[in-house]
Amino acid sequence: MKKTTKLLIPLACLILAGCSKDETPVDTTYPVIDLAYQGASPQQCGTFTRGQKISFKARFSDNVALGSYSIDVHHNFDHHSHSTEVNDCALEPKKTAVKPYLLIRNFPIEGSPASYEAVTEFDIPADADPGDYHFLVRLTDREGWQTLKGISIKIK
Amino acid sequence: MKYFVLLLLWLLPAYGFAQQLHIDGHVFDEDQVPLAGADVSFGDQRVRTDAAGNFFLPLSGPGRFELTFSKAGFRTQRRSVAVGQTSVQVRVRLLALNRQLKDVKILGTRDAQFREQPMNLRSVDAGFITRNLGGSLMKTLERLPGVKTIGIGSGQSKPLIRGLGFNRVVVVEKGVKHEGQQWGADHGLEIDQFAAGRVDIVKGAASFLYGSDAIGGVVRIEPPAAPTVNGVSGEVTGIAKGNNNLIGGSVQTAVKGDKWFADGRFSYQDYGDYKVPASQVNVYNYPVDLYRNRLRNTAGEERGLHLNAGYMDSTFRSTFFISNVWSKSGFFANAHGLEPRRVDATLHDARSGDILMPSQQVNHFKILNRSSWQTGKQLFEAELGFQRNFRQEHSMYVNHGYMPPAYPADMTISPALERQFDKYVYSFNLRNTLAFEHHSLTVGLNTENQRNSISGWSFLVPAFRQFSAGLFAVDNYRLSSKLLLQTAIRYDHVNFRSFAYRDWFSTPLAAGGQENLTRAEAFGRNFSSLTWSAGLNYSPMPFFARFNIGKSFRVPIAKELAANGVNYHYFSYERGNPELAPEQSYQADAGIGWKDDAWDITLSPYLNYFSNYIYLNPTPFHDYDYGAGNQIFAYTQSRVLRYGLELELSRKLGGGRSVELLGEYLYARQLSGDKKGFTLPFSPPPSVLFSATQAFRSGRWLQNAFVSADYRLTAAQNNIVPPERKTPSSGVADLRAGATLLAGRQPVNLNLQIRNLLNTKYFVHTSFYRLIDLPEMGRDIVLSISMPFGHHQKKNN
Repeated sequence: MKKTTKLLIPLACLILAGCSKDETPVDTTYPVIDLAYQGASPQQCGTFTRGQKISFKARFSDNVALGSYSIDVHHNFDHHSHSTEVNDCALEPKKTAVKPYLLIRNFPIEGSPASYEAVTEFDIPADADPGDYHFLVRLTDREGWQTLKGISIKIK
Repeated sequence: MKYFVLLLLWLLPAYGFAQQLHIDGHVFDEDQVPLAGADVSFGDQRVRTDAAGNFFLPLSGPGRFELTFSKAGFRTQRRSVAVGQTSVQVRVRLLALNRQLKDVKILGTRDAQFREQPMNLRSVDAGFITRNLGGSLMKTLERLPGVKTIGIGSGQSKPLIRGLGFNRVVVVEKGVKHEGQQWGADHGLEIDQFAAGRVDIVKGAASFLYGSDAIGGVVRIEPPAAPTVNGVSGEVTGIAKGNNNLIGGSVQTAVKGDKWFADGRFSYQDYGDYKVPASQVNVYNYPVDLYRNRLRNTAGEERGLHLNAGYMDSTFRSTFFISNVWSKSGFFANAHGLEPRRVDATLHDARSGDILMPSQQVNHFKILNRSSWQTGKQLFEAELGFQRNFRQEHSMYVNHGYMPPAYPADMTISPALERQFDKYVYSFNLRNTLAFEHHSLTVGLNTENQRNSISGWSFLVPAFRQFSAGLFAVDNYRLSSKLLLQTAIRYDHVNFRSFAYRDWFSTPLAAGGQENLTRAEAFGRNFSSLTWSAGLNYSPMPFFARFNIGKSFRVPIAKELAANGVNYHYFSYERGNPELAPEQSYQADAGIGWKDDAWDITLSPYLNYFSNYIYLNPTPFHDYDYGAGNQIFAYTQSRVLRYGLELELSRKLGGGRSVELLGEYLYARQLSGDKKGFTLPFSPPPSVLFSATQAFRSGRWLQNAFVSADYRLTAAQNNIVPPERKTPSSGVADLRAGATLLAGRQPVNLNLQIRNLLNTKYFVHTSFYRLIDLPEMGRDIVLSISMPFGHHQKKNN
């Protein structure tokens, strides 16, 4: 009888149209990454130096609650293009990577706030290949919507 | 209790039969679908088959009777039956007149039979395919309400039936399950649409016939019927498309003797990059300029070779089918992997017809035998098959995540081979149909063995082996001439085993240290399931009604159980769950309609409940070690409610004019889990297709001429789930015209289509490229010409 009940519940639901009445609207809004304010970093075509630090400072916001973010810095010596910015920063000639700087870090955003300012910094090894790099930010909200931001940077 | 009543009902008619000398029997088509309304006659006595395809012919005494079986749309058959002191039962199989393009109606006369089935079955013939020829077979079928595709580019697409796709739709080719669509959304079915004689579509679950996976529907592709007249015959077809400069063709020739026949076909298609009505598209907010509106590197090439040979006599038939379908096509270079590295616009734009990397290459080889033997009241049918699906994705090595910057020289895998799947599948099906007075009982067995191996520098799904076996019984019980009861029960068992996989590169662990990660552990699972179905059909013509309820199931596939890698198409880290339970689905499906000389109306509502739908859930988290910083997409299960309906309405207005309206609506909602309240991915928005046709009277040199216009209005889809995007509404117009020209005695069939007549820029919610805001194909002019030759043509006209 259990199976029959399982089938009958949605049936009754449909007939009484009771299911659609109490529908709370689901969240279909992507979170937002803001790098366009004074002090935000990195900026498109920003330059950083080996042996020093890259600072990351951005404002995140969502209509409901934020989830987590992840930072990915990888070389662009082969001129691949997934910058979300239009300007391509006058790329240096293509070259083969020897010891490119690679950074992958993920960060939970505690407490699921609706807005958050991420402030952190990363060391660039002194022996990393200089050249064009991509700085990629991935931000999710609690529902799993993800926004990407790709910034082209240079490391000297 | 329920089963007991069914059993009782089933046993009853064996007793209530009066003994009068008679001939009775069953008329059906090549697929065992009962044919209603077939004329059975001898001398001036004439009866008709009922909804279950059965007839009863009372006799005044013994003797020899020359029976004629005829039905519009089928070849007439004669049979001599000797009746002594006892009554005789016969079974007659009528062959469809597939090669004829006689009427301009959207669906052939054969479709009427399907209205008399408890299941929602639709059938289209080769004529429908020619008139609506799209980039792939599934795209061609998209005109039918409830049928959509998940498409990529111009030539690849998978079926989506009532919003369910991938492994929730079974594709059966020549009686054997086509096993090639589990790997990803970005490749289509390896089917040569020139070689399809007829396509049947079951909308809704049919697990009791096809086992696991047939939870959303079935697409059954049948080869053209064997030639019926001795001698040589054949057909030459040519096709050209304006949008992507496609040139293609197919040559078929058959030879038939008294009891044997052989048939061969070769098809070829070559196409360039396709054009969209946009000069710039946005790939994840990144603006991409298109050269001459062309989608960079979406060109392709396809080849199909088919050889069939068979033996036929009045009781035994056996056919061997050998086919090889090969295709190679490019991926839109700016979107592959979302890290569109190595896009060399100068190189990619130099020629629109070449296929550069990234690309996919697929080869599907199949060898089958299909046999049937009629002995007395029993019909035995068997299919034995082998298929190999070999698929490669080519893309030059790029270091994703922690892969080393330069491809190591000691790797044995080519740096151009991103992924490879190589699957060997052995299938064996056996069915036995027993005809009783009011019953037709079929018992059957399906078995399948799959062995899948993988290669390539990237990893998503491990190698696996799977064995499955199912036993079923289906009973068609004729309660009266207008009422048919179908009951079915089935038991399946599946054994799944996946193999371990370890990364070839090392990953620095979050906890410190370095390791070549083990992405897949070897493990095994056993699944078993009992499913059932019951359906009623009531057809006092012109009215008809059907109702079907049942339970279906689906065994989780390798990807769902064991995926553990980054899918760079979506920037997602996909994680399987080895603990998943088989999906269970309960569905109720109904249909009511009216069909007379002027009106043809069908309304098909359905309701479907999943107690544990398997769903790739985008979580709010990112993974460091296995996911290289990407968002975690985890396979989970949730309760799901879906319902919807399709409406088909056509009206003949006289003077060759007719109008048609096809509409569909679907609602899906997750009732539990992280995405409670959300819909399911790939839910098509409501749409309506308006169509008007003018057919012209046949003359001496021009026959079956028609002009027809379609306008499809699709609502916006704002009911979405991560990672989907809202899709705006659209209106798209198509024009079609066709005719048969008689050049002397040689008929030449011409068909012209203008798809997307107004070059409208629109989006399709279920398209693979929807996530990257890529509009659909712009205006496309499709011209096809076919010329039949040989003896059979004279007979047809």
